[in-house]
Amino acid sequence: METAMNLKVSPRAVDGTQVLDLEGEVDVYTAPLLRQAIVDLVEGGATHVLINLERVDYLDSTGLGILIGGVKRLKEQGGALRLVGPSARITRIFEITGLNKIFDVYATERDALAAGGR
Amino acid sequence: MPDEEPGTPVPPGGEDPGVVTLTIPCAPEYVGTARLTILGVASRMGFSYDQVEDIRLAVGEACTNAIDRVARGGNGSGPGSITIRSHVETGRLTIEVEDHTGNGAAADGDAQARPVEEIDPQELGALLMEILVDEVAVEPLPEGGTLVRLTKYTAEG
Repeated sequence: METAMNLKVSPRAVDGTQVLDLEGEVDVYTAPLLRQAIVDLVEGGATHVLINLERVDYLDSTGLGILIGGVKRLKEQGGALRLVGPSARITRIFEITGLNKIFDVYATERDALAAGGR
Repeated sequence: MPDEEPGTPVPPGGEDPGVVTLTIPCAPEYVGTARLTILGVASRMGFSYDQVEDIRLAVGEACTNAIDRVARGGNGSGPGSITIRSHVETGRLTIEVEDHTGNGAAADGDAQARPVEEIDPQELGALLMEILVDEVAVEPLPEGGTLVRLTKYTAEG
């Protein structure tokens, strides 16, 4: 049975910065979509990527693992992965796992873009 | 106290809890179904919003763990199934996530001992379960597969 993916990943560019808008749930089923979107951006030459989490209502260890992978990969390219607008719930997951220390998190997209880099 | 029929199983503790059982194929697209079921069970038990979300994520992690083991183990006999049994008791919810996959026990290693960026997602899942519920027990099953038992207490329980 083919089940509909409960995650939408929409890429766009803002002033030369690559942005991924996520909507829905990032779990073991949908996370490969996110992984592929990040790989595509990196292979396309992006060094600074912003992931908008405002409309993500569920994020599990698979999703966290992909975000960690993205942070490492972009750092190697001299760039950065920035996360925008996680809910209180997801912020709590970042905190209890200690991942808030390695994720670069911004409240709004404007703040993340203002942090510079393309 | 009513007489018990011979052979009637008595749950540990002597109480007769309400049990909700769901069996899903051990495959990524079904984990969402397990999470929805547990959301329905936990949200009727006097847990706070955050506690319900904690339980939902912990159960999702237990299922994901089973799926990852199958993906890594490749036992060649198909993906198997996962049974999620929720025991509803006063002040306490115990969820047994049992996979029938023929693979060994979950990684429940010492994830906390290392920097978080070096932890792989499977260990991250085990770490989340430890943090999100009050008790976690992981046992390999004699016939293959793994039983993960998650217990969460309500504040007043």
